[in-house]
Amino acid sequence: MTSTASALWEVREISKAFPGVQALDRVSLALNAGEIHALVGQNGSGKSTLVKCLAGVHQPDGGDIRRLGVVVAMTTPTVARTQGVATIYQEFSLVPTLSVAENIFLGRLPTRARGSVVNWQRMRRESVRTLRELGIEIDPDVIVRRLSVAEQQLIEIAKAISEESTLLVMDEPTAALGLSEARRLQGLIRRLAEQGKAILYISHRIDEVFQVVDRISVLKDGRLAGGGLTPELNEDSVVRMMLGAELKEHYPKQHNATAQPALEVEGLSTDSGIENISFSIHAGEVLGLGGMVGSGRTEIARALFGVDAPTAGTIRLNGTSLHLASPRHAIKAGVALVPENRKADGLFFNFQGPQNITIAGLAALLSGPFLNLGREAKVSQDYFIKLDISRAGLDRTVQFVSGGNQQKIILARWLFAKARLLILDEPTQGVDIGARIEVYRIINELTAMGIAILLISSDYPELLAMSDRIAIVRDKRILQISPSRELSEFRLLEIASRGNQQPQGAFHAS
Amino acid sequence: MRASLSRLRVPILGPILSLIAVGVAVGLTTDRFWLLDNLNNVALQASIVAIVGIGSTLVILTGGIDLSPGSAIALLTMIMAQLIKINGVPVPVAILIVLVLSALLGAFNGLLASYGRIPTFIVTLAAMSIFRGIAFLFNNGSPIFSVSPFLEPLFYGKMLGIALPFFYVLIFYALAWGFLKYTPAGRRIYAIGGNEAAARLSGINVHQTRFMAFVIAGVTAGIGSILMTARLNSGSPNYGVGTELQAIGAAVVGGASLAGGYGHILATMVGAAIIVVVQNGLNLNAVPASWQNITLGGIIALAVFLDMWRSDFGRLAARWFGRLAGRGHSPGGAGRDLPPSG
Repeated sequence: MTSTASALWEVREISKAFPGVQALDRVSLALNAGEIHALVGQNGSGKSTLVKCLAGVHQPDGGDIRRLGVVVAMTTPTVARTQGVATIYQEFSLVPTLSVAENIFLGRLPTRARGSVVNWQRMRRESVRTLRELGIEIDPDVIVRRLSVAEQQLIEIAKAISEESTLLVMDEPTAALGLSEARRLQGLIRRLAEQGKAILYISHRIDEVFQVVDRISVLKDGRLAGGGLTPELNEDSVVRMMLGAELKEHYPKQHNATAQPALEVEGLSTDSGIENISFSIHAGEVLGLGGMVGSGRTEIARALFGVDAPTAGTIRLNGTSLHLASPRHAIKAGVALVPENRKADGLFFNFQGPQNITIAGLAALLSGPFLNLGREAKVSQDYFIKLDISRAGLDRTVQFVSGGNQQKIILARWLFAKARLLILDEPTQGVDIGARIEVYRIINELTAMGIAILLISSDYPELLAMSDRIAIVRDKRILQISPSRELSEFRLLEIASRGNQQPQGAFHAS
Repeated sequence: MRASLSRLRVPILGPILSLIAVGVAVGLTTDRFWLLDNLNNVALQASIVAIVGIGSTLVILTGGIDLSPGSAIALLTMIMAQLIKINGVPVPVAILIVLVLSALLGAFNGLLASYGRIPTFIVTLAAMSIFRGIAFLFNNGSPIFSVSPFLEPLFYGKMLGIALPFFYVLIFYALAWGFLKYTPAGRRIYAIGGNEAAARLSGINVHQTRFMAFVIAGVTAGIGSILMTARLNSGSPNYGVGTELQAIGAAVVGGASLAGGYGHILATMVGAAIIVVVQNGLNLNAVPASWQNITLGGIIALAVFLDMWRSDFGRLAARWFGRLAGRGHSPGGAGRDLPPSG
């Protein structure tokens, strides 16, 4: 049943087509007051389009949106907002150089009675009230740039929500967050639901959805593929609805670790705060780095990639001592980084797939002083076939391929550049489940070739399943290194968060 | 193969059609446009803009901008004239010296813009003022006329009945095209303009690449200054005023994106022709010089507007604008509905 008389918000038979794609095909959803409703589906299944129809960014071709049974036309984002729809997008819309209060009131700054002069007192007072209502303990005068990603996410919510908001739409709200930050955010969402708001929660992460929401709807190829109350469903059934086919295994892990050490780090310290870090990764091994956001995982990766210069300690790769003054030196030595933010730090949107693949290893394409473009086309084609990358990326710029294919193109880049140590920073973030498995398969292939992998992931099931061993990081130190089969998600979380005195559900500006 | 063909065809086709349209339009306003003498004049005029435009395009591809070539031309014509007429240096030697100096001027910009981390706009705005200032230090700021009888044939001479500048343009554009398409350095120029952070993480020496683009831009301005000296058989601190704008205009009218990373070098050549044809049309219709400046500025603004409207730059700008207006971001861009990228 999709329509109930009591539904606070209702999407009825909405359709939306783009040139060549039926993005939404008669989708209906009932969003009840006090209920957290998850919308899941693969990339391109129509989730974002539905969000944009609700937010007034897109106009549906057919169907309508109703509030308490009355049709509401979301003609512009401003209209949607005043009608009570608060939308939080995956990418932040905060201005980093302004204060928390200014960001919350951006575009609707309170002014003094007659003129166009900002009423700072009122803005501050109302910010404090908004933040307090949401249980966010952040000083409204702090400049947003100084906040952590998790805190910025909360400000994003404070900004989107207003007194009139009755529907909160969140697109992948936990994508950039570590586990404990995600938990706090989910606590906040729950409180908002308890205030009687309807919540639409978009997510890639099925396990998370099951912990958080009351009701799940699954989109596939623009159609509603199924759904129901959370207790009536299980992860397998939802994944099946998303894929339209049975999924054999979530994590196709192969154990390819050899006895030969590839990377040996001893007593490494840097100015960014990591202290006396020692570990090794064998050829073909995946070493997972477990820990909270801010624990020092990123700093370890930065030191290995030559971003932060070491103040003490040694790094050896295949027996050779490395002096990594810059990423360029690291790459020359065979160290590669697949960055967390592949759009900002990984991809060249002005290049097609082949140029994106070869850019880190142009020397291998040289015939005399010139690039052999024929060879470039050929090797790229080989990688496209080997890694099963969508052929659309061969002669189109990479902005037109999906997140999973983009990630595979970056992995192909480092295969081509003959990396010996690959640092994967959140490699499956924002990647849909089908492509995630592809990424895991590629990890297997890389390790089978003897490449050592340092895996950073906030997705603990993934980290546990794909790593051979896991180093748990906290307070810029490695606490322990153990085979991943000896750890559980619970145990990992317990060690990583031990001694953490921050109260649950409250936030402090740093 | 098919991909590379279409890549070549599409970016050039638009500018060529625009050139034809502009030519037809100018031809309608005056009978004199299509006269052989006039077309010859247009081609000669366009040659200098086109060659300077090579450097401007390279810098724009890296995501920067070069405002200094007009002033560099003034300075270098003065140095060349002084060397030949006052110091008695033979013309070929003077040309070599000017080329070396032009590379140094480019290196000055390049050093500050890359290793000095100053925005290219600021660096070259400063250089624009500095270079022209130095030009006035020569010969008490007076032009040097009648430099050498060997100079004018370099510009007005003909080979097989075709004016020499035609060959110069052809040669330098062939070199620039090959450089951008077939060398790692050329590829890196596109890479740092497309995504500087990703370029750094891919092992590209961003500073070195940007530096090199500026050195090349210096040299193409140097070649322009040699042609200018030859054409007018003189050097003057007042030469080259507005040349940087014409050269940037050529790149932008040719479709290069000021955000960097997008643009085709051969399209700049067509862009140079478009700009010169428009100016020639205004000349033939006896439009005052002030209106010509207004028109040039208008063409550049229009080209950038069209570029923003259709390209990623537009999506970027729309998002910034969206953020400022507090509407969140709209990846659909400037009012267009795009299919989801998944």
